[in-house]
Amino acid sequence: MSSLSASSKHTTHEIAVSVRNVGLTYTTAIDSRPTLKARVKALGRGSKQTRVVRALDEVNLDVEYGQVLGVIGTNGAGKSSLMRCIAGILPPSQGRIEVNGSVSTLLALGVGFNPSMSGRDNVYLGGLAAGMSREEIEGHFDEIAEFSELGDAIDAPMRTYSSGMFARLAFSVAATVRPDILIIDEALSTGDAKFKEKSLNRIKELRSDDRALILVSHAMKTLRETCNDVVWLHKGKVVQRGEPNQVIDAYQKFLDLGKSAAIDEDV
Amino acid sequence: MSTPLQVYEPFKAGLPKLGKYWKSLWSRRTFIAEYSKSELREQHFDSVFGQLWLVINPLLLSGVYFILIVIIRGGSDSTRYLHLTATLFLFYLISNSLTGGVKSITAGQRLILNTAFPRVMLPISAVVIAIFKFMPTIFVFLIIKAVVGSEFNFEMLWAIPVLLITMFLGLGLAITISCINVYFRDIASFLPYLTRTFLYLSPVLYEASELDPKLRVLEIVNPLFPILDSWSSALVHGRMPEVSNMLQGLGWATAIFFIGTYFFLSREREFAVRL
Repeated sequence: MSSLSASSKHTTHEIAVSVRNVGLTYTTAIDSRPTLKARVKALGRGSKQTRVVRALDEVNLDVEYGQVLGVIGTNGAGKSSLMRCIAGILPPSQGRIEVNGSVSTLLALGVGFNPSMSGRDNVYLGGLAAGMSREEIEGHFDEIAEFSELGDAIDAPMRTYSSGMFARLAFSVAATVRPDILIIDEALSTGDAKFKEKSLNRIKELRSDDRALILVSHAMKTLRETCNDVVWLHKGKVVQRGEPNQVIDAYQKFLDLGKSAAIDEDV
Repeated sequence: MSTPLQVYEPFKAGLPKLGKYWKSLWSRRTFIAEYSKSELREQHFDSVFGQLWLVINPLLLSGVYFILIVIIRGGSDSTRYLHLTATLFLFYLISNSLTGGVKSITAGQRLILNTAFPRVMLPISAVVIAIFKFMPTIFVFLIIKAVVGSEFNFEMLWAIPVLLITMFLGLGLAITISCINVYFRDIASFLPYLTRTFLYLSPVLYEASELDPKLRVLEIVNPLFPILDSWSSALVHGRMPEVSNMLQGLGWATAIFFIGTYFFLSREREFAVRL
């Protein structure tokens, strides 16, 4: 686990994340709620309780500092799995991932928040969950409160918040962390149009030569504007990687065509 | 500070690097404290009445059990009541560690799926919460002891090592059961029966010395037995607990902690896909 404040300056084109031949297969319980009772009942019948999921297959990917990498693909393409592997949440089952720098993830908003506590308390809770220190959060508190535009509501319990308010506070906390590598998974599609633009601007601010950003999104226009590199995943494999407009055009063409035989073929 | 280089590779069954694991756990201690605090607040234990309930609940329980003892035995005395209260309160420390621990991983699903942190932090928080809930009951016990006119002496300080052993046991149990619950989610439903059984198998409603010699095997197979007996010796009777009892309790606690933690640590990297 890494500390979240940028630890040292990285230079452009230095490798931030290197993903080599990574495969991820995992066994997951077929039952969403595996129980001892079900296991005992299935004894002797030999019925399988688990299913093997192949989420990533021979993925090779380098992300350099100064890069803003967009990750696209249909649902179930393995985007989130890949992000979780890079973040160290899921260990890969094959290959090797090297992460050179501190990582912060924005995979879901409001992780670690407790709705019965006030917005203020949750800023601390969420910040600590993201790996910041108490002092760091204190130092940034005013900035977070201001960015979230909550005003006095910051002292009200979070269960009284609208979903937009919740998302605004969560994004504000996350956007304060200034890591070397920031991974954002579809977390931008929150709040009203105004806040969306504000958060997008914050992301653009975070683009710098000594930072690597990885954005997972279905918002192609945003990706075209923000990224300088895009990778397209399908069924756990890298289909194409390169100049954003080119890759996104190809992806959209694929979406329009529906299933293209070549891409879906299981060899 | 040098740039941290992290390498993620397939893991074989076995433990993660313990030094690194401990370091990252230690760096999250503020989060453990804050997380436990927020859980306590969610259960309203930060308010006056919430804390009062923490005290009233075990008091009512000890009252109910005392009535049971009086009826079954046809009479009782204040020492019996003190023994019952002291051991029941300590028993609830273990019981709360278990009930809090059992769902700590499954309830922390969002955290686990979205953040990388040492998962053992969650059952640890559950035990911290159980300890917070236990603390006020010590004062209640001391007040009761003073009110019934029982003698206070320095031997009572032996309760401190006994309490530490109990916390250690609670931690081991919470870690173990939180891990089991990931694979068998119905363990939580069995838990009330399990704790109730252990309550009756432990010297709470009776004193260890009264146990029928034929049932002595209970002393050996029940981890709580020597601990509760030592606790009562120190706090109620004001004498040093038997060293063999304390060692036996420590032995149980250590064994459960290490076995449970081994299972937990060797499995925790899989939790994210199991939730």
